[in-house]
Amino acid sequence: MSRGRPLAHRAVWLGIAGVVTLLVVLQVVPATGLVNPDFLPPTTEILAALVERVQTPEFWTALGDTLVTWITGLAISVVAGVVLGVVIGMVPFLRAATASTIEFLRPVPSVALIPIAVLLWGTGMQATLLLVVYASFWQVLVQVLAGVQDVDPVASDTARSYRFSVLARVRTLVWPTALPYVMTGLRLGAAVALILTVTGEMLIGTPGIGKLLAVARESGAVPSMYALVVVTGLLGVAVNLLARALEHRALFWHPSVRGEVL
Amino acid sequence: MSVVRSVLYAVGLPLLLLAAWWVATADSQSPFNPPLSEILATFGPTWFSGDTFADTRFVQDILPSLGRLLVGYSVALVVGIGLGVLIGAVRPLREFAEPVLEFFRAIPPPVMVPVLMLFLGVGTSMRVFVIATGALWPILLNTVEGVRGLDPVLKDTARAFRLGRWGRFRRLMLPGASPQIVTGARQALSIAIILMVISEMFAAKDGLGFSVVQFQRSFAIPEMWSGVIMLGLLGVLLSFVFRIATGAVLAWYHGYLQAQRGGA
Amino acid sequence: MTVHSGPDRSRENTVLGKPVARRTVPAVVAAAAALTLAACSGSSGEPEPGASGDGGLTPVTVGVIPIVDVAPIYLGVEQGFFEDEGLDVTLELAQGGAAIVPAVVSGEYEFGFSNVTSLLLASQQGLPLKVVAPGNLTTGEVGKDFAAVVAMPDSGIEDAADLAGKTVAVNTLNNIGDTTVSAVVDAAGGDASKVEFVEMGFPDMPAAVESGQVDAAWILEPHLTRALQSGAEPVSWNYAEVDPNLLIAAYFTTEQQTAKDPETVDAFTAALKESLSYAEEHPDETRAVLDSYTEIDPAVKDAMVMPRFTPDLDEAQLQLLADLGEQYGVFEEPVDVSALMP
Repeated sequence: MSRGRPLAHRAVWLGIAGVVTLLVVLQVVPATGLVNPDFLPPTTEILAALVERVQTPEFWTALGDTLVTWITGLAISVVAGVVLGVVIGMVPFLRAATASTIEFLRPVPSVALIPIAVLLWGTGMQATLLLVVYASFWQVLVQVLAGVQDVDPVASDTARSYRFSVLARVRTLVWPTALPYVMTGLRLGAAVALILTVTGEMLIGTPGIGKLLAVARESGAVPSMYALVVVTGLLGVAVNLLARALEHRALFWHPSVRGEVL
Repeated sequence: MSVVRSVLYAVGLPLLLLAAWWVATADSQSPFNPPLSEILATFGPTWFSGDTFADTRFVQDILPSLGRLLVGYSVALVVGIGLGVLIGAVRPLREFAEPVLEFFRAIPPPVMVPVLMLFLGVGTSMRVFVIATGALWPILLNTVEGVRGLDPVLKDTARAFRLGRWGRFRRLMLPGASPQIVTGARQALSIAIILMVISEMFAAKDGLGFSVVQFQRSFAIPEMWSGVIMLGLLGVLLSFVFRIATGAVLAWYHGYLQAQRGGA
Repeated sequence: MTVHSGPDRSRENTVLGKPVARRTVPAVVAAAAALTLAACSGSSGEPEPGASGDGGLTPVTVGVIPIVDVAPIYLGVEQGFFEDEGLDVTLELAQGGAAIVPAVVSGEYEFGFSNVTSLLLASQQGLPLKVVAPGNLTTGEVGKDFAAVVAMPDSGIEDAADLAGKTVAVNTLNNIGDTTVSAVVDAAGGDASKVEFVEMGFPDMPAAVESGQVDAAWILEPHLTRALQSGAEPVSWNYAEVDPNLLIAAYFTTEQQTAKDPETVDAFTAALKESLSYAEEHPDETRAVLDSYTEIDPAVKDAMVMPRFTPDLDEAQLQLLADLGEQYGVFEEPVDVSALMP
């Protein structure tokens, strides 16, 4: 454990306090009529609808579908992003040659690719995967590229003068330098992957939470829809916690993490 | 690097890919994957035709979008860096805010925007808000990481020199975290462009994203692809401007790296 | 000694950093490889077109939207009409033409459901679509239809002519919504060109109207009932006023499908027409089947008006929408409606 017990407890309590504040606001705003409760139901109604949802088997199937799509898309993005990022980052020619292409492809929104995705793969998981991978790949790639470029030139020269092989250089020099950037990239990519997974399910109709959300929305079943929105938000929080835990394990030597012991 | 070489690098790979795209789709019969020649042929008429220059889609759609994008991005920069330094430096704040922030971030725009419409209406402010809150994240996260990762020796030195809060902010945290902040700002730029498109999918009347979506809905596929290409070009242009702008900010860092290369 | 500024790149602990990286990276790669293989090789379980399913039934997939308009086909599947024609129908819920049309064009779905104006647009752009049966029509009754333009009582909008100069929400621009609204505004003596149309999803319209973000909205059921329940009032019954036989949407397929497997297309069309007749004759059952694919609140479900269903497809109905669209700038050139007819 890299953190003292009292500090860890404080983090949890503060986090819970934040969530409770949100819930209270969400209860008060519709209840006092600031917003019409038909359109934004108070927390109690949303929670009631959520309890109902959780008891249906189709909810759990959909949740499973969403998670599978998400993790698959993220895995592909991370592997491709790290491998390509390290390779491109370490070879100046490649960096210069691909820079304009990366800047061109990055800002294209995944949603513009929906017709192509559906044309190629119908409305199954693969179509949404195209959206997910296209969006989160860039998050990871750009971060990795930045990390690789941050390598201390002195250390790089030292490694070269000791005739470290390329692989050894990557392992001992490039990877630790890039790792904080990669972790940020992983966190950003994971969040983007989740958003695009649910968006793809909503707009294409791939099975998952997003599809349930879309049906609820079309039906005007407002509390039920917000219950699913809450689920999506909770998934995001869980993803972030997971990413942070991973980051702590991988970066325990880095001052940003070590600094928290002090 | 000479100007000629940088230009060659910039256009080399894209030209290669364009050529490949051209050849691959030359005989395409698929309505959703038209030949590149067709797409390029519609490019001019779609964006630059009109009775006067003010009537062209360029002025009617692209400029307003660009305006909203820049405003949203600027807001994201200011709030992201400000909050990022604060949250990165003050742990309890981060622990309080993080679950809630992560909660909202995960909600997909097609759902979030209608909720926002309840509060912000259907006009420009809603769109700017969507862009700003989405572009905020990379800046915020990277700033937090940058501040958290500051060399502890430097932090102690700053404290020993009794630099006040503002002094520490200006001389320690901002410069120290600036490489990571700049990375985050770069990420945020392309996210801002994407969100500009998404914000124009709802209750919009004009805009580049709006046009692309309308083309998609009316099955004007070559025009849609021309819009996608336009988005890419916009990204390249903005990143070029970005590089020039941050060149000045990070000059000390590049100089430091250069000096290191020259031997310490 | 060099003083580092910026992020600390502590390399003293590289040795410690290595084992972690060494464990994490290969594990991630292996997991990713496994998942990628699974993703690429597995299909989403959709039946192959043309292959024989269980007991000799031909599997057929139809792309539909989770709205009230498609209740007849759900009812027909429930009643076994499609089985009687030798078809094993799977109904796939998608979210609109942007997803359904490419899926039908690529053959992933054999049939789809879409509003007619979108089909005319697609056909004009060269997509080889063919209508097989009508989807739903207006009830034709002014005052009791499944679509209307609504506004809040204090908005000052009394009839269609008042819409000039106001913002009206429609779900898709340059489609049946704004063309029919423009038509009724002109018919009532107003100036349709002065109406400001805004695009918004139907589910968001009740809130937008009630809060004044838009002056009026053209809404479909079940959101129409939601809007009326929140205090909005109908200003115009645009579908019924334009034409009592206005066709809204239709079921379609592609030319390739018709050429490749005409028996299946004929069988599907026959079963679908029977479903449409049955739905019109048994409104209570049609209403009840909504529970199987939507989550419409029971109170709303009982209060709302259902569209009219008929098995007869008439080219004149398509022509009407083509003319309407041409008049209001949806189509730049006259549409060849016969290209869409079966």
